Amino acid sequence: MSIQIEHISKQYGSFTALADVSLTIGGGELVALLGPSGSGKTTLLRIIAGLESPDEGSILLHGEESTRHSASRRGIGFVFQHYALFRHMTIFENVAFGLSVQSRLLRPSRLNIRERVRELLHLVQLDSFAEMYPEQLSGGQRQRVALARALAVKPKVLLLDEPFSALDAKVRKELRDWLRRIHDDLHVTTVLVTHDQEEALEVADRVAILNLGKLEQTGTPESIYNNPASPFVYNFLGNVNLFHGRLLAELSFEERAGSTERLIDSAIGFVRPHELELSRNLPADRRAVVASVIRVHAAGPQIRLELSIAGSGRSVAAEMGRKQFEQLALVPGDNVFVWPQYIHLFDDDRAMSLLLDQGAGI
Amino acid sequence: MSSHHPVSSSSLLHPSRAQQVGRVTLILIALLFLFGFLILPVAVVFTEALSQGWKMYRDSICQADVLSALRLTGLVAGIAVPLNLVFGLVASWAITRFEFHGKSLLITLIDIPLSVSPVVAGMMYVEVFGLHGWLGPWLSEHNLHVIFAVPGIVLATVFVTFPFVARELIPFMQAQGSDEEVAAVVLGASGWNVFWRVTLPNIKWALLYGTILAASRSIGEFGAVSVVSGHIRGKTTTLPLQVEMLYNEYNFTAAFAAASLLTLAAVVTLGIKKGLEMTTGIRRGNEEEEVDS
Repeated sequence: MSIQIEHISKQYGSFTALADVSLTIGGGELVALLGPSGSGKTTLLRIIAGLESPDEGSILLHGEESTRHSASRRGIGFVFQHYALFRHMTIFENVAFGLSVQSRLLRPSRLNIRERVRELLHLVQLDSFAEMYPEQLSGGQRQRVALARALAVKPKVLLLDEPFSALDAKVRKELRDWLRRIHDDLHVTTVLVTHDQEEALEVADRVAILNLGKLEQTGTPESIYNNPASPFVYNFLGNVNLFHGRLLAELSFEERAGSTERLIDSAIGFVRPHELELSRNLPADRRAVVASVIRVHAAGPQIRLELSIAGSGRSVAAEMGRKQFEQLALVPGDNVFVWPQYIHLFDDDRAMSLLLDQGAGI
Repeated sequence: MSSHHPVSSSSLLHPSRAQQVGRVTLILIALLFLFGFLILPVAVVFTEALSQGWKMYRDSICQADVLSALRLTGLVAGIAVPLNLVFGLVASWAITRFEFHGKSLLITLIDIPLSVSPVVAGMMYVEVFGLHGWLGPWLSEHNLHVIFAVPGIVLATVFVTFPFVARELIPFMQAQGSDEEVAAVVLGASGWNVFWRVTLPNIKWALLYGTILAASRSIGEFGAVSVVSGHIRGKTTTLPLQVEMLYNEYNFTAAFAAASLLTLAAVVTLGIKKGLEMTTGIRRGNEEEEVDS
């Protein structure tokens, strides 16, 4: 079932949660709403669910105007950040709840409910937990129960509100992969709210990035990663690197000679750590800056280096494969020549990505 | 000494001699105070009540006036407590689940009966419903009796007890949050289903706890009821009023016998309350941990 979000605005007092947001989500698609806290992503999800009503705009579910429909009528599965399991019910009763509260006419028989719950518990790999209570389960298990409970009523749309953010990193990653597999099996239209860039880029078919109540960019994870539409998106996705403990390099080139300077005045540019080239010898046809190695993080498949640019003292992060690192054999205190392969430039919201030719540099 | 408790080195657990003396002194003072001001008077109630023997005790209680006072007290509590239960639930629900203007005012208003002297509460009702009050002429035209009659006693009791349930529920429901209810709504549950299958099971112990406090107060209320009752023997005297009347008539044995019933009611209430605390941990605040590591 498709979801059409049309010109949604929402105001809380003087705070603008959402400002004219439009987005269409296709049937069977898995879309991530990604943004920092306060960006309006959860508000948008709650509006889709019918838990909040927008000040303006409308929500169409499968082409049908649903803005005024109550949450209980929308045929939606909702998964909460803190699980929201019914604490006084067993896992079985939790999963069966949505079926057992249906009106007498629609309600499946006791036997059918039992069968359906058993199926779902099998799907979330918690077959033997039916008689336990939520407090006896770990966080990851509870969230799987919550998902089973949401799926029990065969929702046409599945909405997940930061479902994995209360879990530790390892479980989070497992559940993320598992959610993707379940989605591939069931093909239910899914909207996932998250502030975790890696999660969004890894799981979703499409990512919608929100900032300050506005939609910044929508696209496939690949296109968003490769062509960030704004400095905000670049910075925000840069946190993917930060998440791995890496710093995004931001280099200014106003004061440097080079072909880029004549194109754009006072632009800012971004270079991802792995897009920096390092060499002990300056290639004859390159412009490069000299930097000294401050620190080397050599644990893991990628080697991360903290550099300090000579003169300005600006701190820059670089990243390279193990093989290249072994060739360079850098240790703290060494001086290297540094230049970028790519620069992503932003100038008054214009974005361009430059593959630097020979002769260009920073 | 520390060799027996190698793990702990806290001075609270291993007090010096001076600290130990101080500790014992404090405990003794507390115990003496408790004994002198609580246990001794309660014991006196029972010894006085039984001073003329069991037969006299039984006869004192089985007087028609005392029995009627007992019935009236039961009736009043039987009306006031359910009313407060419903009011407390509604108020707590509104306060913890909705945002509205005047919410903080409502929370303050709920506390008024706890801060106003019960005598003042009684006088307010006399002023409104009494013969010379605002509604007095209209009521007497229609031959309705509120003041110096049972309805007045019920009203006064409802007033003094109405914070108890709400004050128990509000912090409890605030701590629990509304996630489970929202989850139930999204799963298609009706308001009725949400209340009976999700909300009520979650708050039942806190609700019972508040109800017990309200019941205990409505049985024991004296001041407010005294003003509106008119002390008509066998008709508008509740048990606390009956105790006072017997006492003023120098009928000490009967007064203490009736008082012993009130004391017993209090002891039973305390017992249930303690039992609830132990089984559910309401007072210890061990809210089920929702956020996982």
